[in-house]
Amino acid sequence: MGNLKLTNVTKAFGALTVLHGIDLTIDDGKFVVFVGPSGCGKSTLLRIIAGLEDISAGGIEIGGRDVVQLSPAERKIAMVFQSYALYPHMSVRKNLAFGLENLKFKRSEIETRIAEAARMLALEPYLDRKPRQLSGGQRQRVAIGRSIVRNPDIFLFDEPLSNLDAALRVQTRAEITRLHRQLGTTMIYVTHDQVEAMTMADEIVVLNGGRIEQVGTPLELFDNPRNLFVAGFLGSPRMNILKGKVTALGLAGVTIDAGYGAPLTASIDPAAAKVGQAVLVGIRPAHFAIGNEGLPFVVQYHESLGTETYVYGTLEGRGEQIIVHQTGHFAPRPGDLLRIMPLPGRVHVFDPESGLALPQSVSQRSDAHEHA
Amino acid sequence: MSTPKATDFGGRALDFVMGIVEAPINGFERLMGRKRMPYLFLAPNLILFGIFTFLPIAIAVGYAFTGGTGLFVSERPFVGLDNFRQLLQCEDYLRPGSCRESLFWTAIWNTLWFVGFNVAATLLVALVTALILNRAMAARGFFRAMFFYPVLLSPVVIGLIWKWFLDRNGLLNAFLQMLGVPPEIFLLDVGWSRFFVVVVSVWFHMGFYTLILLAGLQAIPKDLYEAAAIDAASPRRTLFRITLPLLGPNLLVVLILLMIRSVQIFDEAWVLTNGGGPGTANSFIVQYIYQMAFGSDLRLFGLASAASVLMGLVLLALTLIQLRLGRKMES
Repeated sequence: MGNLKLTNVTKAFGALTVLHGIDLTIDDGKFVVFVGPSGCGKSTLLRIIAGLEDISAGGIEIGGRDVVQLSPAERKIAMVFQSYALYPHMSVRKNLAFGLENLKFKRSEIETRIAEAARMLALEPYLDRKPRQLSGGQRQRVAIGRSIVRNPDIFLFDEPLSNLDAALRVQTRAEITRLHRQLGTTMIYVTHDQVEAMTMADEIVVLNGGRIEQVGTPLELFDNPRNLFVAGFLGSPRMNILKGKVTALGLAGVTIDAGYGAPLTASIDPAAAKVGQAVLVGIRPAHFAIGNEGLPFVVQYHESLGTETYVYGTLEGRGEQIIVHQTGHFAPRPGDLLRIMPLPGRVHVFDPESGLALPQSVSQRSDAHEHA
Repeated sequence: MSTPKATDFGGRALDFVMGIVEAPINGFERLMGRKRMPYLFLAPNLILFGIFTFLPIAIAVGYAFTGGTGLFVSERPFVGLDNFRQLLQCEDYLRPGSCRESLFWTAIWNTLWFVGFNVAATLLVALVTALILNRAMAARGFFRAMFFYPVLLSPVVIGLIWKWFLDRNGLLNAFLQMLGVPPEIFLLDVGWSRFFVVVVSVWFHMGFYTLILLAGLQAIPKDLYEAAAIDAASPRRTLFRITLPLLGPNLLVVLILLMIRSVQIFDEAWVLTNGGGPGTANSFIVQYIYQMAFGSDLRLFGLASAASVLMGLVLLALTLIQLRLGRKMES
């Protein structure tokens, strides 16, 4: 059973605490991605699960077993390292066999498992090659193969795609996802790349400063970020943030004046807001519609990616930087004045002091769940 | 703001020097052509090497084919391969007494014996020390410096220190007497003296080889050990299947350097054993060469040169092996 339970996991290096009481439960068979900026503690957390780092306090259970005192080999985990960590003096076959030999498997069983992993990862032609004779993508597959042959309860991936070029990264991403479906084993994957997180994960754990900011499915996090950090971290380009003030409370939400003469409506639980309350309004670039009314947006420049266009500019007057996403070809000129209006139900509202999102209205929450 | 000033000063000084040398360098370049210019810059070193290294080698090779006791070439008759014949003439090479130059063959066997034990012991001690120093431990820097310190000493000083330590009235005997063990005259006993020549050599040189091995150990990526830990490798298997194979190139360099250095054993052993004693138990090949040429007014420069040439060939072979294996490992 590859379920994992972390209870109040704390890690300190001397006076520096890098993980502050992490509580997390991961169900068997899930693909969970730890995501966060550099230094947020995601790799440390993965290494703690692997047993490569000790914890300062807390508990770790894998498959219901307390593993805190167990060595990495005893935890029934396998890890794919960022650098692949293949043994350079051994052939691919020996790299795959090494762990099984250490565990005193029979030669016939070792050969069977190697053949199976090689078939699964299309490594048969390379079994007698040394790692230096392989491309980056092939090395990556060998590293994954080394994990597969051990038939672990949990696979751990530490930024495994960061050394690959963009095209190979997309391909390997798909291969890992396919592998997860095929094996059905729990996988925990660390990345700082939100696209990897969004495309691969059953669940995303967003970490920041050694704390979990939010756990949820990719769309839950995208649609309902718990706070400003998650809202800004997930989604590319990042969410636009405007200052505003609540001007009216209604049954379905609240009205916010952002100071541009065009009131914004947000589907926020009216009980959670007060008239006159200062708020931060978050709107993703893709959630603006260009029309005849709305916020006055002065174009600075645009980026055309063929199927989509990002328009960069400022709001007329206060000059807040805004990015607007449009599908297809769109070529405004610098200095053009456009009117942009947030799509209904796509306005996020945050408390400027705590950074927490104001709770959505009941109808919006149920919509979001259906959407997810 | 001293840095900008220093930089300005450095820049001005460089401009000044370049201003002086630019004209003559340009002149040479016009005279010799651009392609030959690198040789101009290499010339000073080549001249020094020529005078102090290549010329003596050439003289030694030439002297190996001459006889007599004269110092200058003009005083030395050409004898062809006589010196080599004298050195290599032997009924049974395993019995130096049956050889025409019995001292030469005694020295060869003593040297081979020493090379075998010294290489094995130094390699083992340096490897174990490097493995220990590579671990996270308190005062690691201090211990690294401590093990390297003897390398900085003069071989004669090393010989004298250990002689003082091992003498009849030395520190070791004083210590043994404290324990109630009767004193031993270590340097007059064949077995003990040979043992301590190896001990002293190991102590003297291990710091240097430890450093090479430590550099090799530190170049092994840490994540390989982490992968091995996840792969359930025991410490013994990690050592023999990960560390030692990856340390291979460094071990090879150390092995060859050690062999070359061991074949050249002379100064510290000479001082320690009062010239190779007891008897000829610690008489080595370099000592034989020295004694033939400069010891007891023998002035057998031809014989000594022939022995040097033979030893040089052995060292050349070892160096070529090192280069070839080194390249093979790199590729």
